[in-house]
Amino acid sequence: MPLKKLPLLFSLLILLPHLLFAQMERKRTVQDGPVEDIFLSGSLIGMSTVSALPQRNMNTMVMHNFGLISGGINDFFGIDVGATVRLGIDYGLTDKLDIGIGRTSRENMVDLRLKYLLLQQLKSDKVPFQIALKGDIGINTERENRFDFTFKERLNFLGSVMIARKFNNQFSLQLAPMISHFNTVVLENSTDELNHTIFGIGIGGRYKWSQRNSVAFEYLPVIGERNLGTKNHAAVSYEIDTGGHVFQIFLMSGQWFTEQHLLARTDTNISDLEFRIGFNINRLFSLGK
Amino acid sequence: MRLSNTLLLSMLLCVGTLNAQTFQTESGTAVFHSQVPLHSFSGTSDHLIGMINLDDNSVDFYLDLETLETGIGKRDRDMRETLETEEFPFAEFFGELTSEFDINSDAEQPVTASGKFTIHGVENDIEVEGTLQKTNEGLLLKADWILLLKDYDIEPPSLLFVKVDQEQKIEIEALLKPVDN
Repeated sequence: MPLKKLPLLFSLLILLPHLLFAQMERKRTVQDGPVEDIFLSGSLIGMSTVSALPQRNMNTMVMHNFGLISGGINDFFGIDVGATVRLGIDYGLTDKLDIGIGRTSRENMVDLRLKYLLLQQLKSDKVPFQIALKGDIGINTERENRFDFTFKERLNFLGSVMIARKFNNQFSLQLAPMISHFNTVVLENSTDELNHTIFGIGIGGRYKWSQRNSVAFEYLPVIGERNLGTKNHAAVSYEIDTGGHVFQIFLMSGQWFTEQHLLARTDTNISDLEFRIGFNINRLFSLGK
Repeated sequence: MRLSNTLLLSMLLCVGTLNAQTFQTESGTAVFHSQVPLHSFSGTSDHLIGMINLDDNSVDFYLDLETLETGIGKRDRDMRETLETEEFPFAEFFGELTSEFDINSDAEQPVTASGKFTIHGVENDIEVEGTLQKTNEGLLLKADWILLLKDYDIEPPSLLFVKVDQEQKIEIEALLKPVDN
């Protein structure tokens, strides 16, 4: 080796430790993962969303609407008219499976629900959609003077497939084909056609215009046969996310917070601007790691 | 032996000697404690990656912020949004030990490290005090310091309209194992 190369080698020797122990290369621990916050909560307004609770998280809900605003100042735009209230609790059994129970003041309806996250949208877009399945059983527990309903006759059901995509940090859209079935349908006129089973497709979306504020909508048209006098449900809301709470203030045409009822029992017409004011309060709790 | 071979051997020996003084972890614990009036919460990650080289006293730690969990998924998502983790995924410290550490002692020894801490794309010089202890498995490091959100252009998030406190207590604990030759 030529002696003139020695200084270079010595320099390398001196520099070597620094070359070897320079800053470590930064590597992401989390390479890919589910897209987060497709929707702010498990419900948009009355319709459920594909968002599921993390394991051992609990969401308590107070869902509330009043009478029709078309009543004007005489009944303070519906606020003086009897309210519909649903109190509910959902719980994440796993990161993909939620169970829930709720009670609605209308017809003293108790409902049990189950939501399963079938597919999660990934940040990498390898899975571009999120899909969740939902089942809900409603039990009418109201004391009925005219009829002596059996337990079976008091039941109603919902099955739904929710398919959603978060297109960017602002906009999410969901389509939810669903089917409702009522074991008992009360006819107002003997000539009315009777449909126990109704199909529909829920369309919902959210636009998040700041870190804490969003606007959302939902529309639930019936597909196929429907019972006389029923209309398609629609609603728009303003959402405030405070971290642990999600507040939703809205105008909705339907009166219920269970989709089988929104689909089969909504009788107010959005084209006549028959809306009611309402609000939902969602509160999240962690019940341990 | 030719001179070049001798030098190469020296270099390899040098590397071996240096590695013997290098300790690494990929499973350290990092915790932050946040406070709002009448409420406090913590976020934890067990994915703290770090290295201490006792030859040149360099200290290098980083954490993928998306591994931090507070126990409430929604709060985690808010935290990631506040820290803008998609754009700035890491919290990192790179500096050097500025105090003496006796590798031959088993006692827990107070140590100080000075260097640059970066989070949310903002870099600041900080000095961190902690302890370092030689164990049978390697080096046990414990340290904590106070991070001021405004120093890193982090807008404190609100919980029920009340801002999270500017001061965040950061704690790290890691068992760094010797790097194999």
